[in-house]
Amino acid sequence: MPTQEVPFTKPVEDSVPKVDNAIAVGEDLDFQRRWWKFERVIWSFFLLILLCDALGLFGRGWLAKAHARTPDGALDLKYERIERASTPSIMTIKLGPSAIQNGQAHLFLSDDVIRPMGAQRIAPQPATSVIGNGGITYTFPATAPPATITIALEPSFVGAHHFHLGIPGSEPIHATVVVVP
Amino acid sequence: MYTLVHAIVGYFFLMIVVRVLTRRPGAQMTLFEFVIVFLMGGVIILSTVGNDRSVTNCTCAVICVGFLHRATSWAKAKSPRLGAFLDGTPLVLLKKGQWQDEVMQGMRLAPEDVMAAARTKGIRSFEDIDYAILERNGGISVMEKEEEGDK
Repeated sequence: MPTQEVPFTKPVEDSVPKVDNAIAVGEDLDFQRRWWKFERVIWSFFLLILLCDALGLFGRGWLAKAHARTPDGALDLKYERIERASTPSIMTIKLGPSAIQNGQAHLFLSDDVIRPMGAQRIAPQPATSVIGNGGITYTFPATAPPATITIALEPSFVGAHHFHLGIPGSEPIHATVVVVP
Repeated sequence: MYTLVHAIVGYFFLMIVVRVLTRRPGAQMTLFEFVIVFLMGGVIILSTVGNDRSVTNCTCAVICVGFLHRATSWAKAKSPRLGAFLDGTPLVLLKKGQWQDEVMQGMRLAPEDVMAAARTKGIRSFEDIDYAILERNGGISVMEKEEEGDK
């Protein structure tokens, strides 16, 4: 019976470099020394990332916190200029004396706060909300300052988002929030 | 779509972190190293799957990681340079009774690690070891000295 030959065979070559001409190891110390240098660079980079994170450069920290107010003191806004995608955060709006008139406060929020920045809840619940002019105007029953409105955010769109908010008869606050992945 | 992007980023990020960490997570894991592997795996899965914990999403993520692994293995087989980058090269730790200090310190290994591998081969002391080699998979191969009569 004829022997069957296996197709696609090739002879074994002694291609792995030997140590002491005795053991085929394939050690490459020059490569390894370069790798150790690369490792040091990578770990320095990782350390830098941790430092930036601790400072809040990627959100939820000291550098991420932002504060803005209108010149007349009608609105005082505290928000995070760097947000993380799918991570809850709180935007706080304090109303000044000129924001409350006839037992009511009107607050305009541009659409950017609602959709790209993912406004989930607004507290207290507004009495009315009217859409138009590229946003929503909320009406809150109010007595006297201090009065605070909080908006729970959970952004889902990565990137820079410009928004503005204001009350009738006062200059609006323009701000930008960067949402990181 | 986002899950696939997250899976790709997570796969390569985890690969580079484990690669620069040490070579030991692949073999000879101590309890200390188990913590690293499970914690990293657990953390990366959170960002990969996100809020979508559906069977569809998780299945797609697993298939994606499977494809990445297959593609990486194929690329490693084609390019020895890439293989060296991803897995490293074998390194001699002990040669003819001499510790290779540069390698031992660089790989953050202790003589006890070599001796642990030696004991699995029935070797009782360092004097009986001819060569100890740190393999690409993180294991340590130990070659015993030949007896005078064997030569």
